[in-house]
Amino acid sequence: MLKNRLIPVVLMRGGICVQSKGFRRYQRLGNPTQIVERLSDWASDELIYLDISGDEDYDLGREDLRDGNCEGPLEILTEIAQRCFMPLTFGGRIRSLQDIADRIRRGADKVSLNTHALDQPEFINQAAEEFGSQCIVVNVDARREGEDWEAYADGGCRATGKSAAHWAHEAQDRGAGEILIQSIDCDGRGEGYDIDLVRSITSTVQIPVIALGGAGTWQHMEEVLTHGGARAVAAANIFNYTENSVFNAKQHLFDHHCEVRRPIMGVRGLKSS
Amino acid sequence: MKYCQRCVYPMRAVNTMFDREGICSACRAAEEMSKVADDEFWEKRRQVFEKLIEEYRRPDGSNYDCIVPVSGGKDSYWQAWIMKHQYGMNPLLVTYHGNNYLPEGQGNLDRMRDELGIDHVVYGPSVPTLKKLNRLGFKMMGDMNWHAHAGIKIMPLRVAVQMNIPLLVWGEITWTVAGMFSPDDYVEYNKRTVMEHDLRGYSWQDMCEETEGLESSDLHWLKFPEDEQIQAAGVRGIYIGNFFRWDPNEHAQKMHQEFGFEFARQPFERTYRTMSNLDDMHENGIHDYMKFVKFGYGRASDHACKDVRDGYLTREQAIERVKQYDHVKPRRDLERWLDYVGMGEAEFDQIADTFRNPRVWWIQEDQWWKQNVWGEPSNYGPVHYSDQLDVEKYHPKSQTAPPAAL
Repeated sequence: MLKNRLIPVVLMRGGICVQSKGFRRYQRLGNPTQIVERLSDWASDELIYLDISGDEDYDLGREDLRDGNCEGPLEILTEIAQRCFMPLTFGGRIRSLQDIADRIRRGADKVSLNTHALDQPEFINQAAEEFGSQCIVVNVDARREGEDWEAYADGGCRATGKSAAHWAHEAQDRGAGEILIQSIDCDGRGEGYDIDLVRSITSTVQIPVIALGGAGTWQHMEEVLTHGGARAVAAANIFNYTENSVFNAKQHLFDHHCEVRRPIMGVRGLKSS
Repeated sequence: MKYCQRCVYPMRAVNTMFDREGICSACRAAEEMSKVADDEFWEKRRQVFEKLIEEYRRPDGSNYDCIVPVSGGKDSYWQAWIMKHQYGMNPLLVTYHGNNYLPEGQGNLDRMRDELGIDHVVYGPSVPTLKKLNRLGFKMMGDMNWHAHAGIKIMPLRVAVQMNIPLLVWGEITWTVAGMFSPDDYVEYNKRTVMEHDLRGYSWQDMCEETEGLESSDLHWLKFPEDEQIQAAGVRGIYIGNFFRWDPNEHAQKMHQEFGFEFARQPFERTYRTMSNLDDMHENGIHDYMKFVKFGYGRASDHACKDVRDGYLTREQAIERVKQYDHVKPRRDLERWLDYVGMGEAEFDQIADTFRNPRVWWIQEDQWWKQNVWGEPSNYGPVHYSDQLDVEKYHPKSQTAPPAAL
């Protein structure tokens, strides 16, 4: 049986690694590349790296750091691919097949699509046909609307009128290999995942669903795997608060029978030996 | 160059982000804090703290209960006092000694085990090694105090692992300076943050190069324990600033009264506070001057911003402080450092100029210019040309507009 996965997410805005709270408030974490090395050391199953830049330049703004000054997403990707010893999904601002090819050539194993897929759904078909469904993750940013959830475009700024579950189903039909479901309401609150939202997706599609948004404890991660039906649990902010965080999260899930791989540490140790 | 509408931080202040209203993330964090941080808030946090430290207390006296990393400053006294005298823990004090203490700072450090009655480990790398690291840090990243930032954060961790004392009690949550984290994040010590921000991505391996001839055997104290060792010893570093109201002015007064903590005897050249940074004379001196060279602001701005947020200064008073101190080239301190490492001032100035941030500085008629918080640009002395200075970057027209509001 396939194991459930634990996936750290890195959010990058304008060349700077950030925390996000409510898709609105951003706090600077720092270097857009160095963080990947640590996450790779800590036995993550995969990495999702999302470019959530606005219109600003990609600029870390520092001349006195060892590395991390990159002029655009592709340069950043090239840097992180060298530090990343796990499958890498790269997302954000992807608008053409060429954009996907550029990212795969630089080391991405998968790409995640969002706004452009919402605006032109056949883009999913084209992408899946060209690169294979295993390469295409569709990221659904969902906001609660009464009893249902609505899919949002443009980093949570633009309502599309599409139900999140319907859209996820359509994405599956068009060839998506996985759904990354992200709750805008829960983002950065640390109060737990929106289990109902995740279940609304997992009960609608057959492809694997990755849950993101709201983790405040390792227990929350356990809950979304156990009660939400997600095949992978993802989180961003929380992994930046404590030492060996991914390892400890994995240990918790392993100890609580969440069907994850046994946690191991020192992946770079293996690399250098 | 834009400035925060509330404090005096420039848009390029280290680790800050500006929002649509032109407010910096540090002011936003302070605002967030002031909305929630009433007595009940701190009472709850105190309870969380008390529960947490009980897990580490060893009633059988088999080992120390925790490590308190200290520089001997006002906050060190306060942390040690809380752990020992308020909670009856048996802490071990650990100090990284970078060989640059002011006499009054050294006196404060020496008196800790006397006044507070706590065991104390002081670790000092060899002075020739330190001089080499001073030069290397300055040439590589414009910071002669890299060794201190690294040693302060790494040595106590090594002691924790080696002596099997899992709890480290650090002090201020320094990220509040830039508003990188929120109170509910309960951030703990982690290597990523230390590597990135304290060490700027440089490790001991980068210091083993040809010009100074440092080797691995000189730098054991700069080596992080492995993840596996940290995990096996269960080492965890908490920041006491997450649990108690943090007011440096109050700490200093209280520790002065209770334990005779001594302030700087003569005023600093670059800031108006006399109670901070006595553990390293260059921290407020030539190290901080390099911050002005790089980013166009200095510690007087940092202190003034904090004092504006805490209500000790108005923004207008803060601007006066910035005008008075930020640009000052600290003669006394510079000359000590140049003499200490054997460098001439001309070489110093040439190297320093290569670290000017082109988003802040431009060159006009062989002078360095930048915008000011009081609204008009001014010049800050001659350009020190060298082959390493990329003059093209500083053309007035290449002044990039500040990035769009985030």
